[in-house]
Amino acid sequence: MKVSALACAAGLVLAGCGGSHGSAGGASKTLTIGVSLSLTGDFADPGKAAQRGYQLWADHINAAGGLLGKKVTIKVVDDLSSPTQVVTNYTNLITRDHVDLVFGPFSSLLTAPAGQIAKRFGFSFLEPAGGGPKVFAEHLNNLFFVQPAPVVASGQVFADYILSLPAAQRPKTAAYPSLDDPFSAPIADAIRARFEAAGIKTVYQGLYPAEAPDLTPVMAKAIAGNPDVIVSGSQSTDAYQQVKALIQLKYSPKFMFMSNGANSPVEFPDKVGANNTAGIFSAGDWFDGSPEPGSAQFTTEYTKKYGGTGQQIDTNSAEAYACGQLLEQVAAKTGKVDNATIISTLHSGAWPTLLGSLSWDADGSPKGTFHLVQWIDHQLLPVFPAATAKHTPLLTKPAWNG
Amino acid sequence: MHTIIQGVILGILTGGVYALMAGGQTLIFGIMKVVNLAQGAMVILSAYLSYTLFTSAGIDPFLAVLITTPAMFCLGVAVQWLFLRQLRREDAAELSILVTFAIALAVEGVLSVVYSTSYRSINASYANTSFTVGGYQVSAVRLYAFLLSVGVLGLLYLLLHRTRFGRAVRATVQNPEAARLLGVEPARIRALGFGLGTATAAAAGSVFGLIYPFNAGSHYDLISQLLSVVVLGGLGSLGGAVVAGVIIGVSSSVVAVAWSPTWSQFTFFVVLLAVLLIRPRGLFGTVLRGAL
Repeated sequence: MKVSALACAAGLVLAGCGGSHGSAGGASKTLTIGVSLSLTGDFADPGKAAQRGYQLWADHINAAGGLLGKKVTIKVVDDLSSPTQVVTNYTNLITRDHVDLVFGPFSSLLTAPAGQIAKRFGFSFLEPAGGGPKVFAEHLNNLFFVQPAPVVASGQVFADYILSLPAAQRPKTAAYPSLDDPFSAPIADAIRARFEAAGIKTVYQGLYPAEAPDLTPVMAKAIAGNPDVIVSGSQSTDAYQQVKALIQLKYSPKFMFMSNGANSPVEFPDKVGANNTAGIFSAGDWFDGSPEPGSAQFTTEYTKKYGGTGQQIDTNSAEAYACGQLLEQVAAKTGKVDNATIISTLHSGAWPTLLGSLSWDADGSPKGTFHLVQWIDHQLLPVFPAATAKHTPLLTKPAWNG
Repeated sequence: MHTIIQGVILGILTGGVYALMAGGQTLIFGIMKVVNLAQGAMVILSAYLSYTLFTSAGIDPFLAVLITTPAMFCLGVAVQWLFLRQLRREDAAELSILVTFAIALAVEGVLSVVYSTSYRSINASYANTSFTVGGYQVSAVRLYAFLLSVGVLGLLYLLLHRTRFGRAVRATVQNPEAARLLGVEPARIRALGFGLGTATAAAAGSVFGLIYPFNAGSHYDLISQLLSVVVLGGLGSLGGAVVAGVIIGVSSSVVAVAWSPTWSQFTFFVVLLAVLLIRPRGLFGTVLRGAL
């Protein structure tokens, strides 16, 4: 019994250590990229959006003759939105299915443990959706977060914009209602630190739990000091509830920034009413009409394959697509796409993608900034910095309209 | 002071909504001694039905109640007949917790597949409207929802206390054997009672969908709140559910305004524990099985 157990263990170790790991297909004519995605469970919608992005890139590169002449295949397995299942999935993809490369799953919750698995087997880990502090705290040099900036820095561009205004036009008072969540409150806190340093007085700062059934009391308290600007460390449903509460309380601030929720071109107007979006700021990394490399082609191919309009494309699809763009560039530069080459190559220089130019520190945390986007005429448009803006910012948020 | 009074107004209106959602829960416990963990899922299912009727046929969520209520009643009767009727052992009450939780998971699974996991909300034309009364804002949806709650719970009270069916229900609650000797068929009453409790989820679902964004998983938070209302009010007590709903609504709202929303849930549980220490059966619970 012990002998057979040892033999099994040895077999597993050999299976784990041997095979074609990192060989990127060797002499094979196909290059298989394994991905664990949330096709069911809490993250199913963004997971499926990422799947569309990965697949679209594979179709794109295959139509152009493949990556270094190899046909790219995306092998997707469902992780049920579970951080336990994602570990099993990546272990199986690498040790049993012998995929050549892996891409990341959706959310920091799943990316952190998945990145560890990739690291253990020497795989590069381009991941489009794990930007929380916990991911970078793992200090994984094989990991690259494929967005312009880590999540907690996404609000810096709003602070940059406000502090770029003449003093007379800046808000004098601010309120910071935030979700008690590592991806939300730190964004508002970072903005608050800069605003307070610039003399913008804080009249309210408070956290609410994710399970708070009703945010109307929170917003009633937040507006008691008549803040000129409301900076919301929000996620999704709480963002909608904040806006609805403000409308019902009949309070429209001069400026309003929401870290998340308001940057969804489809969900946000659907939940708060299209006439109530005008003037609200958020942060984003991709937008329809972006001049960044490959963006126009991405939009064209996406709408052709999946239908809809460019405005309706989920940014998770664009971020997943950008992972493929990075592989293309590594292949073009080095003539190879093995894991070791990908890791060493991406750690130096800056890499143009449809999300803008990306570069990373040793932990895979990106060094850039997001775009400041604002709802103008029912569209979510980049308004700052000026170099990539498609519209000048509305200086004062219009009143609620419905 | 202004914000606290605003909080009280919000709390009372929200409390009415809680009471509506918990009314069916406490009714089912009163009649069947079943802790129905599927009630939250039934509310969410009803919210989706209202959402579909609103988005595909333009039917107002409050009018949709007229369609969804019979549908939920039939579903409730079917669920009781298929899954709960069989539980006749001594531990039927305990087993019903498992069965109703399984039903909740099944409903969640079906809704996830049909509607995906995206959040939905019912954006009626008056969804964001509010009235200014004495300098305070009163949300139109919450006010309508409160009035609907009062109406539905009032009808339920009349049904239980002014009709032959209601007398049969109350007789079954108090002594099933004696009721049977008087010609009441307890199995039929239980099925109809479960259907009635589930039917209240229809109105609750319309209201929930108007006020909160929801997805298939929203029933987890909801059921914990409903159970809290039912326990605080006294298991099986409709009046208790109303009082407890308002207590929860007002305490949550006022603590959020005066102190912090982080503590509003905690404060409520402190109140709940304090009440249960003094009155272990809740505010209006009685020694009899189910007060109604």
